[in-house]
Amino acid sequence: MLQTGKSASVRRRGPLEQWTERHLRYLMLAPTVLILLALTIFPSVYMFYAAVHRISPNPDLPWEFVGIGNFARLISDPQFHVALRNTAVFTIVAVTLEFLLGLGLALLLDRFIRRLSFLKTVLMIPMMLPPIAVAITWKLIYEPQFGVLNEVMFLLGLPVQAWAGDVNLAMFSIIVADVWQWTPFIFLLMLAGLASLPVEPYEAAALDGASSWRQFWDLTLPFLKPVIAIALLLRVMDALRLFDLVFILTGGGPADRTKVLSLYIYQVAYRFADPGYAAAMSLFVLFVTIVLSTWFMKRMRLAE
Amino acid sequence: MVRKFCLAFAVTASALAISASAWADITILVPSGSEGDGLRAAAADYAKMKNTKVETVQAPYANVFEQGANAGATKSGVFDIVLMDDPWIPFFAENGHLEDLTSYFKGAGVEGPDSDFLSKSLAICRNPYNSGPYVCLPYVGNAQMFFYDAAKFKEAGVEAPKTWDDVLKAAKALTEQGGGRYFGYVFRGGQGNPVVADFMPIFWSYGADMFNADRTKVTIDTPEGAAAMKMFMALRDVSPKGVESYNANEVGTALAAGTAASSINWPNWVATFEDPSQSKMVGKISFSPIPAGTKPGSSEIGHWTMGIMAASKNKQEAFDFMMWATTAEQIKISAERGNPPVRTSVFTDPELTKQEKFRHYPVLMEAIQASTPRPRHPKWPEIENAFGIELSKAVAGTITPEEALKNSQAAVEQITGLK
Repeated sequence: MLQTGKSASVRRRGPLEQWTERHLRYLMLAPTVLILLALTIFPSVYMFYAAVHRISPNPDLPWEFVGIGNFARLISDPQFHVALRNTAVFTIVAVTLEFLLGLGLALLLDRFIRRLSFLKTVLMIPMMLPPIAVAITWKLIYEPQFGVLNEVMFLLGLPVQAWAGDVNLAMFSIIVADVWQWTPFIFLLMLAGLASLPVEPYEAAALDGASSWRQFWDLTLPFLKPVIAIALLLRVMDALRLFDLVFILTGGGPADRTKVLSLYIYQVAYRFADPGYAAAMSLFVLFVTIVLSTWFMKRMRLAE
Repeated sequence: MVRKFCLAFAVTASALAISASAWADITILVPSGSEGDGLRAAAADYAKMKNTKVETVQAPYANVFEQGANAGATKSGVFDIVLMDDPWIPFFAENGHLEDLTSYFKGAGVEGPDSDFLSKSLAICRNPYNSGPYVCLPYVGNAQMFFYDAAKFKEAGVEAPKTWDDVLKAAKALTEQGGGRYFGYVFRGGQGNPVVADFMPIFWSYGADMFNADRTKVTIDTPEGAAAMKMFMALRDVSPKGVESYNANEVGTALAAGTAASSINWPNWVATFEDPSQSKMVGKISFSPIPAGTKPGSSEIGHWTMGIMAASKNKQEAFDFMMWATTAEQIKISAERGNPPVRTSVFTDPELTKQEKFRHYPVLMEAIQASTPRPRHPKWPEIENAFGIELSKAVAGTITPEEALKNSQAAVEQITGLK
């Protein structure tokens, strides 16, 4: 195409424009980097800094450097041990149940879900509710004297229970509420995984006379492995941060049976005004999460 | 330098979060519920009258402490006034978060609050208790009362319970008759603040206390403590299944629904008991001061008090507002809005006392005058937590009452460094 003299002339770019062009990719990245710095890097560094200090609630007293002192306290703090044990029990039991139920439901409903799409929406509801609403709902369900669960027990002639107040039932009650809320999450992921399975291997297996169980064990599970890994990883990380349900339903009681790490960290930081020790505990949880995730990803060969 | 930067960042973030209040002449942090609502309404009246801007920031009970402590620790000056529950006063005062009001009283030409305030209401506003300078002013006159169904107690052979033995006698009989659907007593057994709040009056009624008079020794594991614990466990045995997780709401609901015959609770429940839309027991619940044990009964005081934050930039304006809000006229208006008063003249005002909804005022005034503050210690939240865990274990039956006392003694000694 012919160009006129005017349009063909190249406008001389100033040094600022040239610099901008040279660094455009960095400039476009800058807002993200700044947000990351402000919201992730800075708080993390600050948490490390706080974790090695004893911080008085009195602003006129200086922060006292204690090195690993706050971390050493973790070893001798019985409340921390209780919280750690409860968190482990909750995470293992709740995530296992959610996985088994979620996978089972997905396998059961996979063939019908297109025809019954409203069912998928209904099953999603618990997951979409705010955790605080879920906690309050279950508090009402578990209420010993007026709660619907005990009314049903009474009508069936079964002994009524103090669901959130009994030392032997409190953790179980919290697990049930969590399973109710988060099984749909696993279900949804598994359903997506099942929808993406190739058809040919199943046709071949059927020709070879493989049973449904054999097909599930040798084909479905291995194919679903990456999805299972992601689902379990996300749920484990989330379970380690459990707070709302415990805070509303039991407050950590009775007899410390439901005190979990997040609740204890909150108490130490805000109720006992000891943010240095709380930061050390938070770092411990972060460390555990990173170690677990890395181990888990390697184990499931997610990186491949 | 890093610290200053961090603090500045935290302060800026807090300030931005409450940006609406940043432009106010006075900013007040209040709890949710009737206490906060009452002060919010008063603040609105004041703003209109003085043509000034008063902002109230409302938060749930536990968050008021956290936000106040955070503002104090960072010297943010976000709040000028905090409406505090009285057990928080030592924490706020001894960590330098509260302004000493002495010079402000002098500036106003008075020595301190006038003598119309109840003496117990004033005592908690001084730090140290009843002797140091004023660090706040009382606003809501809470103290626990003993609530009971007089007709049911009469059926069980107790006219008006004067002692915990009377309560236990009636409660035992009523629970036995109740067949698992009706109980003679109900209490807050939830771990932490709830179970401690309902145990302390019994503890004091048997002559026990958490510390000795000069706060140099922890005195939980004593014969007096054991006697109180024995009564507490006996009352647990006649209470509903599930009290291990009960808080004030569950206790109040059980009384209002007529499924429990007696309990300790706060005076604001009187309105609920007398409201036909919320209660099956209208006109049937009686109240008295806390029953006696081996010593006269004493309820836990739970006043809401207003203090000026040390980092406030509007201290004089804040003080002027506090003085106005605690005048007899304003306390009376506050009482009509549902908050128990802190002044004798309001407690005895015939315009109020002739009304059915204020019929508990003579008993409440007596309860305040016979009340005891929660142990005044800057580490009270931590002490309460430790004590609450051991009491919760005893209530749940995972340890013996003796172990609970022994463990509490050791835990509080460790927290306070007293041995």
